Amino acid sequence: MKPGRFIRLLDTHGADPARWPEAERAAALALLERSAEMRAAHDAAAALDAALRDSLPEPDPAALARMRGRLARAMAREPLPRAEPALLRWLRPFAPFGAGALVTLMLCGVWLSRPGIPEPDEFLGAPRLMAMMEARP
Amino acid sequence: MPDALPFPPLPWEAPITERPLPKDAGTRLLRDLPAADDATLLGWAAAGDRRAFDQLAGRHLPVLYRVALRITGQPAEAEEVVQEAMLRLWRHAARFDPGRAQLGTWLYRITANLAIDRMRRPAAHLLDGAQNPEDPAPDPEARLVERQRQTLLAAALAELPPRQRAALALSYDQGLSGAEAAAALSVSPRALEGLLRRARQFLFVRLRGASS
Repeated sequence: MKPGRFIRLLDTHGADPARWPEAERAAALALLERSAEMRAAHDAAAALDAALRDSLPEPDPAALARMRGRLARAMAREPLPRAEPALLRWLRPFAPFGAGALVTLMLCGVWLSRPGIPEPDEFLGAPRLMAMMEARP
Repeated sequence: MPDALPFPPLPWEAPITERPLPKDAGTRLLRDLPAADDATLLGWAAAGDRRAFDQLAGRHLPVLYRVALRITGQPAEAEEVVQEAMLRLWRHAARFDPGRAQLGTWLYRITANLAIDRMRRPAAHLLDGAQNPEDPAPDPEARLVERQRQTLLAAALAELPPRQRAALALSYDQGLSGAEAAAALSVSPRALEGLLRRARQFLFVRLRGASS
């Protein structure tokens, strides 16, 4: 493994080898063993890991109890869960993302492929009207 | 005045002690909620068992709260995010299919998305030091150094985009695998790695720059 790849590994996954991709772990550990520069980079990454870990406190039990109580009260105002209609449940696997857009596109295509609107003259019957007027005595 | 009405009271007019119990009330009370797994609890909740849902909430609240707190940085916002996420689960309990999605991943996704949405609101960008807990170091000087380091880190975290904070929360704080965290954030594993890398590089530069 090249040093650049090792640094990238640290930047992405942190200093804990358990989080490194399994395929690269052995090579990364071997490089760590023989390179003092990589050990320094690893120590810096471990320090950042520790700082991140320390920066997030464990939730306060009182806050959790308060949240649970609030949730129970909010839930009491909610109706009971309703099951999905059987037809929708059956159709859902056949409706992936974008199915609505695809159906709309198809409808637009069908609409645009209809025969065009008749010409105004034909539509109003003007030639026929003029012929009738000329034929009048 | 007659003692009793000539017709029976409507269900909601009856005192709570006289209202009809659910058909399975007897079996509900006998359920071993702590021993049931998440899928079983969710199935019972879908049938209207609020106690089962409360048990489920007790299991997931601490983890979801930490995710929301990492992203929002504000305890009050995090509490609201988690409550909203759990309420959504209650509303969709009957439609949730454990065969198509894992409950934990679904909850992570909802919580992360709600928290990210909140942080995108104009007035929600100030982190109030919630991620700056009391330092247990006994030595006053070490405590001061640690506090300064945590203050710097909190400030740097506050500058990260919410999606990068969400990636940190799921990958490092919760220890999800790359595939799980990527699924929860609806991104590819490669995109997740990009989020993590940019976040760590930014934090590293900020902390190193401040210390030098």
